[in-house]
Amino acid sequence: MRNLAWKKYDPGKLGYFFPNPVLMMLNKVITDQQLLVALAMGDRKATSEIYKKNYPVVKGWIIKSGGTEADCADIFQEALVVLFSKAQDENFRLSCAVGTYLFAVSKHFWFKKMQKSSRDPSFSMEDMGNLETAISGVESDLNAHYEREEHFELLNSALDQVGEPCRSLLRAFYHQDKSMQEISAAFGYTNAENAKTQKYKCLNRLKKIFFNMQAK
Amino acid sequence: MMNLNSSIWELAESYLAGSMAADEKKLLSEKLESDTDFAEEFSECVDLLKSVTNSGKLHNFRNMIGEIHKDQSVKPARKLMNKIIALPPLFWRTTAVAACVALITSSITYWSITPSIKKNDSQYNKISREVEHIKTGLKNNTADIESIKKSANTQPVQPASQAKFTGTGFALTNDGYFVTAWHVVNQGNFDSVYIQNNEGLYYKAVLVSHDDKADIAIMKVDKKNFRFGKSDLPYTIAKSKALLGARIFTIGYPNNDEVYAEGYISSRNGFEGDNLQYTLDLPAAHGQSGSPVVDAKGNIIGILTAVGSPGEANTYAVSTTALYDLIKESPAIAKVHQHRNNRLSWLGREQQIEKMEDYTFSVKVYKK
Repeated sequence: MRNLAWKKYDPGKLGYFFPNPVLMMLNKVITDQQLLVALAMGDRKATSEIYKKNYPVVKGWIIKSGGTEADCADIFQEALVVLFSKAQDENFRLSCAVGTYLFAVSKHFWFKKMQKSSRDPSFSMEDMGNLETAISGVESDLNAHYEREEHFELLNSALDQVGEPCRSLLRAFYHQDKSMQEISAAFGYTNAENAKTQKYKCLNRLKKIFFNMQAK
Repeated sequence: MMNLNSSIWELAESYLAGSMAADEKKLLSEKLESDTDFAEEFSECVDLLKSVTNSGKLHNFRNMIGEIHKDQSVKPARKLMNKIIALPPLFWRTTAVAACVALITSSITYWSITPSIKKNDSQYNKISREVEHIKTGLKNNTADIESIKKSANTQPVQPASQAKFTGTGFALTNDGYFVTAWHVVNQGNFDSVYIQNNEGLYYKAVLVSHDDKADIAIMKVDKKNFRFGKSDLPYTIAKSKALLGARIFTIGYPNNDEVYAEGYISSRNGFEGDNLQYTLDLPAAHGQSGSPVVDAKGNIIGILTAVGSPGEANTYAVSTTALYDLIKESPAIAKVHQHRNNRLSWLGREQQIEKMEDYTFSVKVYKK
């Protein structure tokens, strides 16, 4: 066996001098993985890199299929969200290249959109998009995504019902990543400890509302 | 030790963050096992915190990719502008062929257009060469004359001193013999005689023969192969005396400029009945001595010699019969003198004068 070469593979050195397709693929998978870890942490540079690399392909395909530029952006961003959510799981493993994954998910979203807008009942997802979905194994991810979306939607509506100081306070803390010091200053609390107590009270209210809504 | 109800969120937060101390963790797990109500509430709290945190993360992520999208939809335009698209190797051969064709076409066009430009250019050259040719012709002429002068004598072309006396002469033969008034030359002991033609060129002359009584001198330009003009003399010299009242004119050099005057023969005899002379009604000035007196048909009938006293307005000319007498006495001249044709007879006055210009000239006498 001649697999000795890639076992000793050092992407920094050998790959440069011997552009072996196998080594390059290995290299790509490694960098994809690194990118995804960064993506999961919300690293802007990594996200931008992935966006730049993969958006043109998806865009080209959607426009060719009759979509608009806005459609392209919406769909690709939604696909990125799926990838992001999946990357949150520490044990996640991508069965294919990032590009393939994003393309498959984007295709799925596109077909779903088409199905929604189309009055024709004969228009079927199975005919068009499901082949790729099945191959790249994004189906379970998509189901999880829809579930999560539903969950967050519920949470957001619960958040809307908690009433004013709480809603803003929780949004500031969880959405805008403000520290308790900043929040206490912004909301007029005497210190961060008071703000914290107020936050727990708000969380209590949110919990009540949210679980009531879930029970319904 | 723990106010669990008030700080159940705090517990859940630290549990999620993994920042719990080992003993706290132990206490919590004990509590969770013993108190099922607390355990249920705690799990609810953890779930909610997870959800809220994740929802926040997702919210931020969406915002971020929205911004990235904006950034990148601006960038490509700039990128496109700077982008140099390399020619794929597939098209290299085609491009090379196209470039060759373009090169050949442009060279052919160039070569087919430039000859016509060159033609024009050469036409311009021709014109300028013609001009130059004329110029060089002139130069050659003057050069010839210069060389003629040099070979003619070793004397300076232009006499160094001012001429003492000037008169006029006219050609007797084309090869250098000419006639002037003897008194022009015979002013004491003359040093040298030059003629200056109407082009301003000087030639030295030597005396050949003279008639003291008739006041005629025959001289010769001291130069080999000298010619007054390109052709033979245009005029003839009358052998018999002209009739009374004949219209005559004269060309002379009273100064450096040629002067024309016309009149008539007022008497067939001259001063004090001298039958070798005519009396003319013709304005004349000093310096015109030796000028030819020409009748209307281009025959030279006399040589101006003197003017009368002031108020008399008579001018006297020596008849050419006296000239012929002198010629007969000097056989050398008689042999040379063959001229018979008159080319002036039918011409107008202007043309006559023009034709005579080469054969009349100023005579300048220099003294020591």
